[in-house]
Amino acid sequence: MELQNKLDRILKQVEKPGRYIGGEINSIVKEPKDVKTRFAFAFPDLYEIGMSYLGMQILYNAVNKETDLSCERVFAPASDMEELMKKEDMPLYTLETKTPVKDMDFVGFTLQYEMSYTTILNMLSLAQIPLWAKDRGEEHPIIAAGGPCAFNPEPLADFFDMFLIGDGEDLLPEVLKLHAECKAAGITKDGFLEKACKLQGVYVPKFYEVKYNDDLTINELCKLNEEAPDFVQRNIMPDIEEAPFPINAIIPMVEAVHDRAVVETFRGCTRGCRFCQAGMIYRPVRERSKDRIIELAKGQIEATGNDELSLLSLSTSDYSDFENMTLDLMDYCKTSNVSLSLPSLRVDKFAFEVLSKIQEYKKSGLTYAPEAGTQRLRDVINKGVTENDIYTSVEQALSLGWQHIKLYFMIGLPTETNEDLDGIADIAKNIIEINKKYNGPRGGRFRLTVSVSNFVPKADTPFQWEGQNTPEEFREKHIYLEQKLRIKGVTFNYHDDFTSVCEAVFARGDRKTSKALWEAYNLGCRLDGWSEHFHPDRWQKAFEISGISPEFYAYRQRKTEEILPWDHISCGVDKGFLLSEKEKAYGETITPDCRHNCNGCGINELVECKWEGIYG
Amino acid sequence: MANRYVLEFSKTGYAKYTSHLDLIRLFKRAFRKSQISLKYSQGFNPHPKIGFAQPLSLGYSSSCELLEFETDKTYEAENIFNTLLPQMPQGIVLKWCKTIDSNIKSLAAAADNAEYMVTIPLDITVDELYNLAKGYMEQEQILAMKRQKKDKKMVSIDIKRMIRSFNASKVDQNICLTMLLDCGSMSNCSPELVIASFCQYGNIEIPRYMIDVERTALGFSNNLQF
Repeated sequence: MELQNKLDRILKQVEKPGRYIGGEINSIVKEPKDVKTRFAFAFPDLYEIGMSYLGMQILYNAVNKETDLSCERVFAPASDMEELMKKEDMPLYTLETKTPVKDMDFVGFTLQYEMSYTTILNMLSLAQIPLWAKDRGEEHPIIAAGGPCAFNPEPLADFFDMFLIGDGEDLLPEVLKLHAECKAAGITKDGFLEKACKLQGVYVPKFYEVKYNDDLTINELCKLNEEAPDFVQRNIMPDIEEAPFPINAIIPMVEAVHDRAVVETFRGCTRGCRFCQAGMIYRPVRERSKDRIIELAKGQIEATGNDELSLLSLSTSDYSDFENMTLDLMDYCKTSNVSLSLPSLRVDKFAFEVLSKIQEYKKSGLTYAPEAGTQRLRDVINKGVTENDIYTSVEQALSLGWQHIKLYFMIGLPTETNEDLDGIADIAKNIIEINKKYNGPRGGRFRLTVSVSNFVPKADTPFQWEGQNTPEEFREKHIYLEQKLRIKGVTFNYHDDFTSVCEAVFARGDRKTSKALWEAYNLGCRLDGWSEHFHPDRWQKAFEISGISPEFYAYRQRKTEEILPWDHISCGVDKGFLLSEKEKAYGETITPDCRHNCNGCGINELVECKWEGIYG
Repeated sequence: MANRYVLEFSKTGYAKYTSHLDLIRLFKRAFRKSQISLKYSQGFNPHPKIGFAQPLSLGYSSSCELLEFETDKTYEAENIFNTLLPQMPQGIVLKWCKTIDSNIKSLAAAADNAEYMVTIPLDITVDELYNLAKGYMEQEQILAMKRQKKDKKMVSIDIKRMIRSFNASKVDQNICLTMLLDCGSMSNCSPELVIASFCQYGNIEIPRYMIDVERTALGFSNNLQF
């Protein structure tokens, strides 16, 4: 009651209080006494971001399906809420039962993005839970994390008790059931962690110690607990056809960024772009059958009342029976008044037939991601798109009446020269010229947006050894491009350079970088993914105080024989394959899509790889 | 046949922190989920014909919210009620659903007055409260600061003629004010103006977030009653 009154007072004073109340349609409230292990799914960002994340809905469903387990949710509060919670001494609580997070058995953070790390620390602190794992005792919940950034968990290793690497919908309930057993048997936390680390995909950082060389690189990784495996193999579900998937998705109380029904059509990607971490860590391609996709789509639309359906995968049109699946879905959507959206579509003839039938698209514009300005550099990064592909498809789009085209590029890629930057401007210029054929010499209402992001080398990719550009180099390139892209009808966007540096430090950071996170958090950094909350000066200072130099972690080219901080965590792709891909990149040689010919990445030694897809 | 309906619901507990727009979105979803097809407006940007009789401020609870909507098929009002009932989030409880005549104007246009119950956590004697309330209402003018729509400037206005009735009583250790206020497009008085001017008059320094407001009745012109 006291807590409820306190909350009532606080909620009257904050913006969008609907973020903090729960009670949504399809949310699941279980009586604490009816379950054995209570799990809090923690999303280190605001409600409306977290509620758009399909992974949360999947895990919420997978855990709550188990009678002995409950899954509740907690999101990061906005700054006004944070201030009042501190003032009123109100601990961070779960939405379902308003239980303080510190009283839950198990807390799991999802690691989607490096810039959410300070928010994690802030959430732990608001939950009144000690941040460093060593300072926590039996009375505190197990603090765990999973998600793509868990493939290099080392910057967070000292804050967490365990990481779940790989597919979570079977692993998480298994770990929680084990926890429930241990709890019932009165086994300590350490006892539980010793048992848990035997499950494929579970990494318990405190069972390992890292020793460093004088030059700050890693000397060796020592195992401190005999029970722990020598290296952690990612958990891979061989098949996702029957994997738990939420039909009854929670309907957000405050409008989420993406408020729509979503079906994951397949996991993994065969294209092998050399900068792309998702393309490596989600291998192999695992497709759902058409029937199942349609069944899930219908079920979700019926259970949520959504009027928009979207498909999720790394490359929508790579589904092995994409045309028939799309036609079936279009039929269904038309009869039930649902609008269909097809993200990351390869824009070919069929796509145009489909898109011209889905009116919505003309409003939102078409997006192409050539990623690099010249064929040479596209070969280096293995992005199999040619300039002609783009121009042909732009012509088609214009003739069908599209008025807005977006182009995505990266800068700071390995081997990049000014010529490659010029290439970006050339593509923009050529598209503007092509448009004149369709919309007259003045170009009409046509707009071209060129967005440039800064390349951040990621763990488990062929570019994991590469140095990142310095902020000065990025800035020079931004200025250079800004001048080159002063073309009528072209809008040029680029990302903040120092954010990219911070990302790079933690994307490939070792355990020592946790000090920088700690300092940044103490200096008030949080919600760093929001430009209005990002303070480069505080981050600069945090790096200085902690002695963590971006020079060493971000800009430095690593030697291939160096022990990398994530070497003991295997995503299933051989390091040798990554190395040969790196060499091929420097040789400007492409590696064909492995859909038709196995390139030997090593994943099929762990799990069956249906590289052509189920309809291939 | 117009297929026009009114639905009454209460909004209590944490649901009072759901905004007007979010609640409309929620109802639209519940209608879709129930496969009750709403009628859409004509024109370039069609939208479903659904709306509240009067918006309720964020943070207020209510026992008498009215939602008006039109469907493009004929349904039994009772069926609509029964289908929507289990679809509501925590704190939203449906009370009834009825058809309404097609020839009366919209509820939003017909809204005329609203009754609110305001709870202020202040422990004073019954006599003190009686004198305070009497003195407040016997002022020649009751001045309150209101933000002007045009230029967003704060101006002082007299709300006395917009307060149709005002009663104070002591409930437990709280002051409980029951007020009937003008409401609607002709003349509208927000309970916030009464709360602020009353607290100022009585030198009550209770922060606004300690005060609870509940809407307890909505009245309409043309003898429209539910």
